[in-house]
Amino acid sequence: MTTAADVKQFHTPLEAENAFAQITENVCRIAETPKPPKAWYIAFAIASSIMVMFFASIGYLVWEGIGVWGNMNPVYWAFDITNFVFWVGIGHAGTLISAVLYLFRQDWRTGINRFAEAMTIFAVICAAIFPGIHIGRPWLPYWMFPIPNQMDMWPQFRSPLEWDVFAVGTYATVSILFWYMGMIPDLATLRDRSRSTARRLVYGLFSMGWRGSSRQWHRYEKAYQLLAALATPLVLSVHSVVSFDFATSQVPGWHTTIFPPYFVAGAIFGGFAMVVVLAVPARQFFGLKRMITMRHLENMNIIMLVTGTVVGYAYGMEFFIAWYGGVQEEGFAFINRAFGPYAWAYWTMLTCNVLGPQLFWFKRFRRSIPVMFVIAIFVNVGMWFERFVIIVTSLSRDFLPGSWGYFVPTPIDLTTLIGSFGLFFTLFLLFCRFLPMVAMAEVKAIHYNHHMHHHH
Amino acid sequence: MASTKAKPRKTAKQSESELGPDDLPSQAAPADEGSQAAPPADEPSSARDEGEAKPVDVKPADDAADDDATKDSAADDSAAEDEAAEGSVAASSADDSSTDEEPSDSTADDSAADEDAADEAESAPAKAEPKKAEAKEAKPKKEEAKPPVKAKADHGGHGGHHGADGAGGGGADHGPAGENIRLGEAGGTLLKVGAGLAVVGLGGAAALGASMNDGFTQFFHSYLVAFWWGLTITLGALFFVLVQHLTKARWSPVVRRVAEILASNSVAFALLALVIIVPVMLGNTALYDWNDPEVVAKSHLIHHKVGYLNTTFFLIRWVIYFAIWIGFGVTLLKRSVAQDASGDPSISKKNFALSAPGMLLFGLSITFASIDTIMSLEAEWFSTMFGVYIFAGAQLSFHCVLALSLFFLQGTGRLTKSVSVHHFHDIGKMMFAFVVFWAYIAFSQFMLIWYADIPEETVWFKSRFEDGWQTVSIIQLVGHFVIPFFGLVSRHVKRHKKALAFWAVYLLAMHYIDLYWLIMPSFDGKQAPWHAMDLLALIGVAGVMIANFGRVASGINLRPTKDPRLAKSLAFENF
Repeated sequence: MTTAADVKQFHTPLEAENAFAQITENVCRIAETPKPPKAWYIAFAIASSIMVMFFASIGYLVWEGIGVWGNMNPVYWAFDITNFVFWVGIGHAGTLISAVLYLFRQDWRTGINRFAEAMTIFAVICAAIFPGIHIGRPWLPYWMFPIPNQMDMWPQFRSPLEWDVFAVGTYATVSILFWYMGMIPDLATLRDRSRSTARRLVYGLFSMGWRGSSRQWHRYEKAYQLLAALATPLVLSVHSVVSFDFATSQVPGWHTTIFPPYFVAGAIFGGFAMVVVLAVPARQFFGLKRMITMRHLENMNIIMLVTGTVVGYAYGMEFFIAWYGGVQEEGFAFINRAFGPYAWAYWTMLTCNVLGPQLFWFKRFRRSIPVMFVIAIFVNVGMWFERFVIIVTSLSRDFLPGSWGYFVPTPIDLTTLIGSFGLFFTLFLLFCRFLPMVAMAEVKAIHYNHHMHHHH
Repeated sequence: MASTKAKPRKTAKQSESELGPDDLPSQAAPADEGSQAAPPADEPSSARDEGEAKPVDVKPADDAADDDATKDSAADDSAAEDEAAEGSVAASSADDSSTDEEPSDSTADDSAADEDAADEAESAPAKAEPKKAEAKEAKPKKEEAKPPVKAKADHGGHGGHHGADGAGGGGADHGPAGENIRLGEAGGTLLKVGAGLAVVGLGGAAALGASMNDGFTQFFHSYLVAFWWGLTITLGALFFVLVQHLTKARWSPVVRRVAEILASNSVAFALLALVIIVPVMLGNTALYDWNDPEVVAKSHLIHHKVGYLNTTFFLIRWVIYFAIWIGFGVTLLKRSVAQDASGDPSISKKNFALSAPGMLLFGLSITFASIDTIMSLEAEWFSTMFGVYIFAGAQLSFHCVLALSLFFLQGTGRLTKSVSVHHFHDIGKMMFAFVVFWAYIAFSQFMLIWYADIPEETVWFKSRFEDGWQTVSIIQLVGHFVIPFFGLVSRHVKRHKKALAFWAVYLLAMHYIDLYWLIMPSFDGKQAPWHAMDLLALIGVAGVMIANFGRVASGINLRPTKDPRLAKSLAFENF
């Protein structure tokens, strides 16, 4: 992973063992330099301003009520749930990289896993906000949890929405644990390198007394493997449960059996696109090109091609069965998607999600930074529109033509959507600044296996 | 010494170009570029010997690294080459500041390569004593060395390590020495036994069918279950082969040939399919209501589907399916066999390129094939998940058959050295994974339909949850998921041959019940109509598969002998 290039970068003739020091240096200096690159300040200023807009929008929403959104009869779910599903989906790449790729022995993942896990957590934070503010009385979100109370009132356990609370809650918990546990050795490194007491205390607190003894490492590796095995079903379960929110209903366009695997593939698809969107600038600005290499980016593009094609398969199957099934409403729902008032959204989705990634069949495009950056952004747009198409198009024209409607977002809808990106990027930028962006210990282990193992 | 061995390294380099293994020089460069350039000359011998002579005797660390091969895409090739060039040339030019994207990436890209370099370094530490002067010489040496080594390779590899070529046909085997990798006489026996079973099974089933005077309705249903049981295994094998090529997997080459042979059973299934297709073409309605004009006229829903469910289009589709399955299955087998003879590494690259479109076509063909012949049994019913459900069963059953085939071959003294417990462990993991995946798909399909409770969908489950079928449904839940889940979850089981063989047989039986549960209710909605014909048809189809396996396998090696990733596969370790 990190090799000769690291050395070349600094033009220092090092002993092989010192490549470790180089890895540490490359990663830690990002968190240690007194001042980050100018680009970071600019990005942070923009992101945090947008975040402020996000919270202002939410504040206004809480003050005024749900009416400030464009939600209407019959489109009771619109941007709120679209955003929720979008962000939960983004969160899938992290666990896939850290758990599934780990089980498949894909050790190239060490260059990007920390990064992707962090992204996962921030995405889940963004996602979790939406159901909370969408319930109408955002001061009562704890009603979603089965907390014993005097009113003897319980959530509806038979509702997939309630399953969602548990699925996303579990996912967030395990993701945070996984991320944090993986970071402990690296936090200890930062602690040991700290020059100020404050830093030493904070990093020391969170590194939980890590000393790097072989016993600690032994337990760490065991725990990592177990967490990976436990997290793997979560990669499937979370978005499957999210898909149940729709597929258990009878709404045409929502109720179709392929939804669970199709949603999972779509989530991984969107998640990897987001990792690419973040990784490209991050490796540029923080000098991590030697750690997050073209090979990482290319592999992620291949995963996008695969999952994008699976999503394309699902679109196709839905369409085919909508016709084959011969149910009038179902058939109409799909004709309406493609040619109805929201056709623009449908074709945007199809272009971004299915056509765009097909460019990755060609190595030239897979390895081109501008191409992958643009396609990854397109995929994110496309995946947002996918949820929009499913949710809004289906609701706006269901069984009774008399109750059809056309949803138009209000400015608050838009500021809330855009604002959520502000929160996401703010958190991400803070992570880049203060925490080890690359899993140093894991990269070193790979490096060790590749270069040094046999000398000892 | 170094010079004699230099050539194989060169060969290895070419052949493994996509593994990027040998592009070593610059990799380890951090320390001393000179020292890095030297090992190339010695690598092949060391890496090979280590891999081949004592396949298991490699540090665990290596395979962890190896396995990223799975994603090691073709793109690395060019990078690899750059590097190789860089390595030998740049070794001398101290300042190789790769500032721009490409070169720097390529260096890092080939982490796969790194560990090869490490291998070499280990086995020949002394020789690798770093001196820049030597480094400069490394390249010329390699070239000089070409002729002698080539000759050597032709004679069976390094120092007679690879003695299997006697049996191998077509030159040196790069696998372990003295391993029996030919089916030999047994091929003929399998052919005979299989043919016997096929005749007894299919003939018996047909005779019983004729004696029942039910217009062969029971026969066709029994046959369809058995047909799909075998077809899913065959298609699972094809998918496996495609995936191994597509991911450039390093663990699997030693077991891939068996999968390739199993995939080539599609040729036999093209014949077996005629038993279904011809009667449909002739207007037989024993299986498919949509083939009955009267039913179609009465049912609005089926009438709606006539554009898809009609005999002409049915035939066209099945021709296309088999063109895809035979085309890809046989081509990949042939190429793989050709590589045994030529050792041409470019064949692996071609297979990689072919597998990408193969995967797309595979996905579509298995989906629509299952819709055509299973879902359309109850022509009014539909589920978008159906193709995925069949795919899950195909993968599960294939991995069971793969394990059993390997047990059989090892039990008869074949592939005893190359296929290790580590490979079985991985196959066991896949079995476990697909038990869970099947359950995930099956549960999702059921739960969504049950929950939404729309009559046109629930009707399909209703007939399976009533009367005698209720029991079979419960067997599905418990027997196809709960029991094998706990049975296979343990690492010990996956590494224990007898235990794994038991679960493979068990799951193949469950897979049969699964297909029975899908197909038979359309024949008898009141109860599971267990009949001797079910068993006979199953024996017949299995006999055809065994016979074809014997026929195909008898002339070829049972594992690749010169696959560029063979050494990796031999050295594979699992935890």
